Amino acid sequence: MDQPGVGDTTLVAALGPDASPSWLRVAGERLREAEIARVGSAAECQALARSRPLDAAVVDARVGAEAEALVAWLAARAIPSLVLEPAGSDSAALAWLRAGAGECLPCGANGERIALALRRLLARERARRDALRREAASDVARAHRDIVEQLNSALLVVDATGRIAYCNPPAEQILGAGFEALHGREASDWFEPAGEGDETLIARSLRSGARFKGAEAVVTRPDGRRVPVGMSCAPIESADGTRSGVVAVFQDLSDVKQLRTQLLQHEKLASIGELAAGVAHEINNPMGFIHANLFQMAEYVQDLRRVFARVEALAQAASKSDSAELREVARALAAEAEAVDVEFVLGDLAKAVRESQEGSERIRHIVQDLRDFSHPDASERVLADLNQCLDSTANIVWPMMKHAVVLEKRYAELPVVSCFPMQLKQVFMNLLVNAYQAIEEAVGRSGETGTIALETARHGDVVRISVRDSGVGISAEHRERIFDPFFTTKKVGAGTGLGLSTSFGIVQRHGGRLTVESEPGRGSAFHVFLPVGEEGDTGE
Amino acid sequence: MSDASARLPLVLLVDDEPRILSALRRTLRREPYELLSAESCAEALRVIESQPVDVVLSDHKMPGMTGLQLLERVAARRPRAIRLLITGWTESIPPEEIRAVGVREVISKPWEDAALKESLRRACKDLAERG
Repeated sequence: MDQPGVGDTTLVAALGPDASPSWLRVAGERLREAEIARVGSAAECQALARSRPLDAAVVDARVGAEAEALVAWLAARAIPSLVLEPAGSDSAALAWLRAGAGECLPCGANGERIALALRRLLARERARRDALRREAASDVARAHRDIVEQLNSALLVVDATGRIAYCNPPAEQILGAGFEALHGREASDWFEPAGEGDETLIARSLRSGARFKGAEAVVTRPDGRRVPVGMSCAPIESADGTRSGVVAVFQDLSDVKQLRTQLLQHEKLASIGELAAGVAHEINNPMGFIHANLFQMAEYVQDLRRVFARVEALAQAASKSDSAELREVARALAAEAEAVDVEFVLGDLAKAVRESQEGSERIRHIVQDLRDFSHPDASERVLADLNQCLDSTANIVWPMMKHAVVLEKRYAELPVVSCFPMQLKQVFMNLLVNAYQAIEEAVGRSGETGTIALETARHGDVVRISVRDSGVGISAEHRERIFDPFFTTKKVGAGTGLGLSTSFGIVQRHGGRLTVESEPGRGSAFHVFLPVGEEGDTGE
Repeated sequence: MSDASARLPLVLLVDDEPRILSALRRTLRREPYELLSAESCAEALRVIESQPVDVVLSDHKMPGMTGLQLLERVAARRPRAIRLLITGWTESIPPEEIRAVGVREVISKPWEDAALKESLRRACKDLAERG
């Protein structure tokens, strides 16, 4: 407590009837740190207080009425005063204290006593001002805390050892743990390494002082979910330049990511569609004449058969002829016919043509389905036959799965549904491919087959499209996460983890629901429920 | 036309794919028409100039000019001729354009023999009734 004052130098004003009171010298020596300035009047004291921060005043009551006014004036400005009072009575002292004086001593008090009282006054004042500042500081801290806690972004403060010192509620939500579970834990446990090296952004910032703005990172939650986030982080540096930690601000990018990947998926499908449409067109022309020619060839075979029947009859007759020449021609014809096996050739030719017709018919359907599939959706919903959408999609994927799958179709009569058919076909395609992969996983290379059942039904204003498989099924813990973007149980390269989340989004945009039931080891069923919609009910 | 009933209807087939033309010829070989064919729109227009064509059956997607554009020229040159379009891309042609050109029928490709024959028969019946 060597510094009783609050400013750089402590300024004390002294007002009294004497130009140089006897106490002044001693008090001045005792309070070396203070500057005691003599003032000639209350007005002069007030002027001094206005020009410099005044810490205290000594007022000799003998100056008369202005003493009282000055003490009140000082009290109003929180400047403590020490009154020197001539009567020396308790009641007089009490009156001064009530009037706002901080201390009261008799006029005869020596410098020592006055210095002591002044010091007490100044100490009290300092304590009061400190408390005030502390209170103001805690107000600021509270405001900071409010800002930080009510921030929409997640905020994480990590100490110099990389442990979580603070996190706000959005951070708790994204990290999937409460404050007590997070506080003091290694921050890097919650994130995947990002960029080069095996470090999280926070660890790198802590180690090298690097700053990141809007970098992509992935949160790994205790429940196993992965959340893509956009993160900015910066080291916290003390005044002396040492790093005392890192502050990281991040936002959940799941929705953004999902939208972006859906867009990509759409673009990809659109370009595949374009390619398919081009290929379909190229196939269509040769298909056209093969189809027509085969039809014609079938007729020609009939024609030739009729003609050959007559030829045979002619040969029969000729063989009984009197003419040796005719009999010879008939014999040669019979020999040739036998050698060629004309009966068989004509029969087999018809069969070959028929089978080729069947093949060309199949190609025609494939081309038709490809074209339907690649036909881009209009920006408006259209009325579509969902049985047809499901069936044509099944036709496209059928060739890849037919070695392992028996396809059962149970289509009910459905009203036309107002929808984006191309998007729904994408959903059906995803479900069919998943069903096939589940079966493939179940049967392996055993050569056995599984079953995919396609079922449609109407329940009031809702239609249901179900894809049921006899595959491996989905475990309970995976079932909650299969609609999450990027969640996949498939081998690297076999699935993006986007099929079901994209499908979910599409069905949702149609105002419908996509649900799953599954029994591990027995199979799964995915159900798409779609509202028929107002126009949907009016039929074709 | 005084000799319209005396002679067989003259049908012009147009397609840039010669195999399609020969397949069409096979399909229609036994039908009661006289067949002409053109492998391009330019060739078709030349035929139109020199022959009293009654029916034009044209492909749509061809290099240089679409079948629809060709039929528009046919309409200007021989307004009485019946115009048929045969294409694998029926859905990609705006119906109002088809109507504007006065195309009597759009036949999809690959065609069904019976359906194609029936379309031509109807077209020629109209022709005969018009006299």
